[in-house]
Amino acid sequence: MGVYVLRRLVISIPVLFLISVGAFILVHLTPGDPADMYITPDMTQADIELTRISLGLDKSWVIQYFEWIKNFFSGNLGFSFTNRQPVGEIIMQRLNPTLILMGVSLVVAYLSAIPLGIISALKKNSVLDRFIIGWTFFNVSFPPFFLGLALIYVLAVQLGLFPTGGMVRLGQENDIASRIMHLTLPVIVMASQFSANMIRYVRASVLDVLEQNYIRTAVSKGLTEWQILFSHVFRNSLIPIVTVIGTDLPKIIGGAVITEQIFQWPGIGSLTVAAINSRDYPILMTIVILSAIAVLCANLLVDVLYAVIDPRIRYEK
Amino acid sequence: MGLLSWMRSKKLLVVGAALMVGVSLLSGCGKGDKKTANTDTLYIGMANAPEFFNPILHPGIAGKFAVRFMYDTLLGQPEPNKFVPKLADSFETKDNQNFTVKLNPKAKWTDGKPITADDVAFTLNLIANPKVENSKRSYIKMLEGVDANGKLAEGVKTISGVVVKDAHTITFKTKTPIDPNYVKGFLGFEIYIVPKHVWEKIDPANVTSSEAATKPSVTSGPFKFVTYKTNDHVEYAANDDYYLGKPKLKKIFIRIMNGTNLVTELKSGGIQMVAGGGIGIVPVKDLAMLQQDKNLYVKAAPAFIGQYLDVNNSNPEFNVKFRQAVTTAINRQQIVDQLYKGAARLVPTIYVPASSVYDKTVTPLPYDTEKAKKLLAESGFDTSKEIVLNVPLGNVLREQSADLIQQDLKAIGLNVKQEKVDFPTLLAKARKGDYQMILIGYGLLVDPDYSNYFVPGGSNNYAHTNDPKVTDMMLKAATMTNPDERKAAYSEIQKYMKEQQFITSLYSPDFIIAQSKNLKGGIKEFWDGSLVDLHEWSLESK
Repeated sequence: MGVYVLRRLVISIPVLFLISVGAFILVHLTPGDPADMYITPDMTQADIELTRISLGLDKSWVIQYFEWIKNFFSGNLGFSFTNRQPVGEIIMQRLNPTLILMGVSLVVAYLSAIPLGIISALKKNSVLDRFIIGWTFFNVSFPPFFLGLALIYVLAVQLGLFPTGGMVRLGQENDIASRIMHLTLPVIVMASQFSANMIRYVRASVLDVLEQNYIRTAVSKGLTEWQILFSHVFRNSLIPIVTVIGTDLPKIIGGAVITEQIFQWPGIGSLTVAAINSRDYPILMTIVILSAIAVLCANLLVDVLYAVIDPRIRYEK
Repeated sequence: MGLLSWMRSKKLLVVGAALMVGVSLLSGCGKGDKKTANTDTLYIGMANAPEFFNPILHPGIAGKFAVRFMYDTLLGQPEPNKFVPKLADSFETKDNQNFTVKLNPKAKWTDGKPITADDVAFTLNLIANPKVENSKRSYIKMLEGVDANGKLAEGVKTISGVVVKDAHTITFKTKTPIDPNYVKGFLGFEIYIVPKHVWEKIDPANVTSSEAATKPSVTSGPFKFVTYKTNDHVEYAANDDYYLGKPKLKKIFIRIMNGTNLVTELKSGGIQMVAGGGIGIVPVKDLAMLQQDKNLYVKAAPAFIGQYLDVNNSNPEFNVKFRQAVTTAINRQQIVDQLYKGAARLVPTIYVPASSVYDKTVTPLPYDTEKAKKLLAESGFDTSKEIVLNVPLGNVLREQSADLIQQDLKAIGLNVKQEKVDFPTLLAKARKGDYQMILIGYGLLVDPDYSNYFVPGGSNNYAHTNDPKVTDMMLKAATMTNPDERKAAYSEIQKYMKEQQFITSLYSPDFIIAQSKNLKGGIKEFWDGSLVDLHEWSLESK
């Protein structure tokens, strides 16, 4: 197993390299020049040229790429083109809020989705099952931006129960209650998306397992409902669930672009949009690489978990 | 008994408990957030993020606004061409060429060092240094000793027209006699003075990335920089030793958010004012809702912003007749009435009603489809050709206006196709002249010298205008000494522009002042001068 993981990690290096080249080319092929963002009514052409030089845009793409990768390996992610702050600093500022929002959303989503999915499968075709399935349909088809705006309008603007946006009331960064209040609405929006998807997978997977012969055997052995549920049904339903978790995990880094915008959440998602709009190459490159690392790590984690859950799955050396 | 059957038997109990937990959570925390409102701290909503906190380079209006909390200029300007003392106690001239500036002897930097004439001279020399990246050179180009772009010649270190007389007196000499308001408006109001003892240690080529430009610690204004969380918020704290008096507010936060959020935050009390101008634009559709809120003061004011349709002037097919036909064909009043609900003004040229030289006698070309058809025929344009209109994404009303414009142009026989592009793409196309028609907005300067928009090689000449007559008129008007003569010259320019239609002026949207009624101070109708009395702003408890 250790060798397998190591080999996967080694393979990731050229993959990441190719991703970085691809991303660099795509980012630079996008029409628009970051230096154009500096033009003001009072600037001369020479001033703009000075900005191009200062951003390193006067050099060829190849040189720009090699400088970027050289700096990347020495831990220097460069300066943001729009505000000249170190990219590492900006990303770190943004990463934390995104991890909090997405982490809490995923936990809330899974904690509610897994039991609901199991209940739904156990009570197949009951009123409760139909209600849960109807609820997931509603959440999957309800656009997050609309749900977010509706929640803001009703719960924040009309009833004044929650703040309309942001991560904390500025000036009161240590107020835990305020942080929780700010977190609630965006988590509801994110979690309802994640959980709807998960409920449907859990339900299908549990239904599949319930029809297996070994369940019938367990029932005839006289095991209790609980014993069957945990030792037989749940464990065997985990493979598809872990796959879903694997696809959800990278989103922790990528963030929720729309939800972050609506709730003014200062995370990676809203940073990405701003960076695209201003052609902030160094920020964009770093976000792409980070997301790629997240996807590769999540895939590896899922493959390892498969083997842990199901002893029949073994990886060759 | 399994969990499920237990829950089934105690259904009512479970539902009841869940409801109680939910309700207590909601009510408890709701109160917690309300009580946090206090009268020491002002929260401002702004739609654009400031780029840096660099007093000599701010590409966007947001950066310029954010810097003014921390850095003072020599003069304040509460109304167009009305100047009040800031760092300078007096700013005088007898011959319109030699200006004497006396600094306020009480003025000091936040580190306690006095603000002297050396700081002023250092700032101007820094701006003129050709190696220093900055956006202020056009404000100093009238000074003797710099070239037409405001630069010093290679190897020259100081501007000859700037002389330090003593610690608190400095003189400026302009190349020719000039309108004193031009000098006051530019040198006095647009140049933030930087601390020499901090900035002289920075390599001129790296000023933009320096700590002083991104996280300033030594400043002169009523508020001090505390922190900036990229694209989220700026935090300032009062400069208690401010030379014009201790600020009444203790803290100011500028929160960055989009237009819709500006409205919800204003209504819920998350912010007490919007930044206004071009950086706090409240969506027109929400205006009525804000006006009905009795806790808010809401007002529309003319802004130094305009929306234009640029026809590529470098294409010989797009001659004067063609451009006149395009303007005449577009029902601009309909855009103002239907899309902007009246919160915009029709303008005949690039000059907007907020400008001091705006000539009311120059009226917009009337909307007249028949006349437009005639003009189009006279232009000789081959109407079988397809014309691409590039529309930048981001401004919803502008995108909607494109549909109306396309219809109007179709009505006179022009085969116009819309292509939507994001703003950086549009700007790249505009700069290269790689387009036929574009929609674009200009954030305009207070001073009427808009030569950069019309003179060949001008940084904002997106229409690629190359007309010797307008070039000559604009360059001459820029340097006129007598205010009345200058105003007359700009009147002539507006008449000529109306006739030539280098660009089609669609409308000038108003900016919205929206703030809590308990805020004393706030945004002024002359937006650029809003922060002049920042140290006196206060929040009264309701």
